[in-house]
Parts: sequence; structure tokens; C-alpha cells
Amino acid sequence: MSDDHTLDCNGVAGLLREVLAPDPTTTHRRCPDCGDTQPLGRHRAYRGAGVVLRCPSCDAVGAVIAEQASELVLHLRGALLVSRA
Amino acid sequence: MPPISRGFRGRRHADVDPARIPPGQYLTTDFPVLSAGPTPRTPLDRWTFSIDGEIDAVRRWTWDELLALPQETVIVDIHCVTKWSKLDTEWTGVSLDTLLDGVETEAEHIVAWCDGGYTTNLPLEDVMGGRAWIAHTYGGEPLAPEHGGPARLLVPHLYFWKSAKWVRGITLTIEDRPGFWEGYGYHDYGDPWREQRYWSD
Amino acid sequence: MTPRAPITWRVATVVAVVDETPTARSLVLDVPGWPGHRAGQHVDVRLTAEDGYQAQRSYSIASAPESPELAITVQVVPDGEVSPYLVEEVRPGDELELRGPIGGFFTWRVEDGGPVLLVGGGSGLAPLMAMLRHRAARGSTVDTRLLASARTIRDALFRDELGTLGPREGLRVAWTLTRETPPAWDGFTGRVDAEKLAAVAPPPDAAPRCFVCGPTPFVEAVADLLVQAGHDPRAIHAERFGPTGS
Repeated sequence: MSDDHTLDCNGVAGLLREVLAPDPTTTHRRCPDCGDTQPLGRHRAYRGAGVVLRCPSCDAVGAVIAEQASELVLHLRGALLVSRA
Repeated sequence: MPPISRGFRGRRHADVDPARIPPGQYLTTDFPVLSAGPTPRTPLDRWTFSIDGEIDAVRRWTWDELLALPQETVIVDIHCVTKWSKLDTEWTGVSLDTLLDGVETEAEHIVAWCDGGYTTNLPLEDVMGGRAWIAHTYGGEPLAPEHGGPARLLVPHLYFWKSAKWVRGITLTIEDRPGFWEGYGYHDYGDPWREQRYWSD
Repeated sequence: MTPRAPITWRVATVVAVVDETPTARSLVLDVPGWPGHRAGQHVDVRLTAEDGYQAQRSYSIASAPESPELAITVQVVPDGEVSPYLVEEVRPGDELELRGPIGGFFTWRVEDGGPVLLVGGGSGLAPLMAMLRHRAARGSTVDTRLLASARTIRDALFRDELGTLGPREGLRVAWTLTRETPPAWDGFTGRVDAEKLAAVAPPPDAAPRCFVCGPTPFVEAVADLLVQAGHDPRAIHAERFGPTGS
């Protein structure tokens, strides 16, 4: 249910681009399992059917990328932090 | 159309019956190492294999007990969802038919579970009838840890992510419960001959 | 701001090939519209066979951002699918597809300052060489130490250039050979260990930025040693070169 104040994604596209578009290896991820925040570039990557990124502090699954035929699907656990500096 | 790289052929071999290669696959002669996480190391004196879930009593074998069971050596082709296929691989292990012998259950599915937390689901009938093994020897040598040693599930008629490395047991389940990759969009069944790689296939 | 990696593939033409060692070669590439890069970044290279089969690998950019030409350095992987083609077959005029530059985590600019510790094994020297060539192009005297590991003197990538690269002020290059040493060898022998690192690296309280690159076991071992020696894990940047598995 939306009201007069609700925007759709297009209204905040600029903000989304700021958080989604920058260099992934310097974007930080906060792990919901251990609470640590680490750059994605420091996450260990494992190639299986898809790619698994694991938290460098606790080894929990941080993100999974499934490379399907026509699309990439990113499953992300936790929060992404992008510096505005 | 991307530019052709002059003289590049990749590592393919023309002298193989193409009927042995499922659609979308390429032949490889090496054995790529793929995993979802770091290689676990369980000492053999602590290793067990279990069958639990929808079963009257949990069955469990130690390493020595597993090796004392009837062993089979099979030569099979294996197919990875990342498009490589490897032909005539030789494995030695215990057939799931041997391990499930005498088990009565209402379950129609299983979840294979492993050291390191990996899981994968299969129909129970797909690990029976001489189609699945707990394999501990590859090419006549003890299975290397990077390839799933000390033992992995071997189910060659499905994509190789179903042949769970570092397997420690199977849980018999009434409902189908997606395992690790299945939960991330990979196909629930995974038949390479119908190219069932993703949920939408 | 780190240059963003375009997601589209560009066509690159091989301009020159440089044989670095008996098993490694640099490919100098012309890439129309190349946006520039930071030292440490890499590119994805894609090859297409006549029947449409494709293979893709990642290679570090070895050239400095200041260089007008882009160069990648490829080490032959035994029984590899792509590297033997790039090192033994490719000639000037050939085309391949390229995507990048990729990776901001493993980058260094003169502005980032020092001291800097670079530890590279085998072809892991390529991105570190980009950093050192960048340092040279800028005439920087930032305190920079390189500990390079190779099996034999014949495999020691960029050794001649590293011997003359300037500015010499602030730069220290040390080699260790792990399998075989030439007569009158005055460098280190054997794998990188705590002692060699202590001899080459700035002390932990100088808070150096550490860049470690090479095969995965090498990187893991060196990163562990640096942490055990008291270096801040957050100042350690690692790039693991491993088989693609596909």
C-alpha cells in the first residue's frame, strides 16, 4: 500500500547507483553472523556451481553469485557500506 | 559476433564419441577443483557416515566399517554445471544400495550433508539401483581432500554439484528440501542430458 | 576515484610480444577507448575459437598507468588451456577481447604514500611491477620494498628491469630463489619466511601498506607471516592467483 509520499525506485536511482555501482572490491560488507565489516576485496571467493564469497572473519557465506545463461543473480547477506569520501 | 582468436582451439579432443557429451558441455582431461568453501579436514578416526531422518534407527558407519563393506569400482563419465565433462573416471566406494539395504522409509527424498556445511538434495530413487556410491578412491588412489576426500557422494548421472564432497551422511526426508546450490537458483534435479542447470530450465 | 570497470568487452589488438622468461611473456596491447587504470588492477581476457567455444581468464596489468601502452604479463600454467596459447602462439596483429580495468582493493598510487611492502611469487609480480613502474614514472621516492620469490634465476620475472628501475632512493629489491641458485648468488634462498620478511619489511610500527600476490598457498602463507610479525591485517592486501576451475 502506498501513499502520496511514496516514491518508486526511479526517484532514488541516483542513490542506488551510488551504492550499487562503485568498485566492488572496495565496497565493505557487514557480516550478519559475526558483526565484522570487511572490504569485499578481502572476502575469499570459492568457485563452485556459482561463486561463493565468504566473510574473512568468520567464514560464513557473505554473497553468492549464480551465473545463469541470460542473467547474473547476486544473493547478498548482510549490509553493504559504500564510502562517500 | 566476437573476434575470433586466431589459432585458439581450447583444450578439446576430436576423438571422442560426441554422444557421450551432454548438450552445452566441453570435454576436459584435467580435473578442475570447485567448491563452495574451504577444504575441511576430518581425521579418519573421527569420521563417520550416517543415514538419518525418516528411518527407524540412525545407521552409522566408522571409516573402518565402511571399508569392510562390499566395495565396487566403477568407471563413469562426470558432468559439471560449469560446462566441463570428464570421461572414464574411475572410482571405488560403497554403493548406496548396500548402505540402504533393509531400510524401510516413507521418504522419497534425501539431503546429503557434509563437513563444511554443504548440502544437496536428490530423489531417494536416484541414489538407488546402482547409480550412487560413497566414493573414497579415485583413479586407484585415495581421494584427495581438494576433490572431496576422505569420501564424497558420487552420483554421475546428475550434474556433479550433486556429488557432494566431504559427505558425512544422508537424511531421508518426506519433502524435497533444496540444498546449498539449489537454494541459490540451481536446478532441483540437475539432469545434464536435459541441460537442467538452473531452476528455470 | 578508481576508474570503473566497464561491463562490456572491448577488442584489443596485440601490438608486441615480449618474452620475459622461457615460460612467461608480456603482451603489449592497443585498446581503443581504454579508460586508464590504477596500478594493481587486472583485466579479463576472453578468447573465441572458430566454432564459438570461449575461454576467459584474468591477468594483471603490468604496465604503469602513465604508460601509453597497456601490457599484461602471462605465465604458462602447465597443461593450461589459455596461457600456453597466449605465451606461445599469439603474435602481433592478433585480436582478443578484454574487459576492465577491474579491482580497486589491490591498487596503489603514489598519493597513497608509504612505506610500502610488496611480496610477490612467480607471476604475482605482475601487478606489483605495475606499482613499481608507476612509482618510477612519477619519480617518487616513497619507501618501497619488494621481496620477490621465484624458483630459479631463469624464472625471475622482470629481474633486469628491477635492478635498474628508479628512483633508487627509497627502493629496495630483494630476491629469493626457492629451487636452484646460480653460482655466487647473494640473494635469499628458500621460501619466504619470517626471517626474510623481517630483513626486508618495514617494522610494524611504521604501518606499511602490504601487497601480497601470487599462487594462493603463497599468499596465505605470507599473509599469515605478516600478521604473526605484528602487521595490521587491515593493511594487508592480497591477490590470490589460482586456477579458474572451469
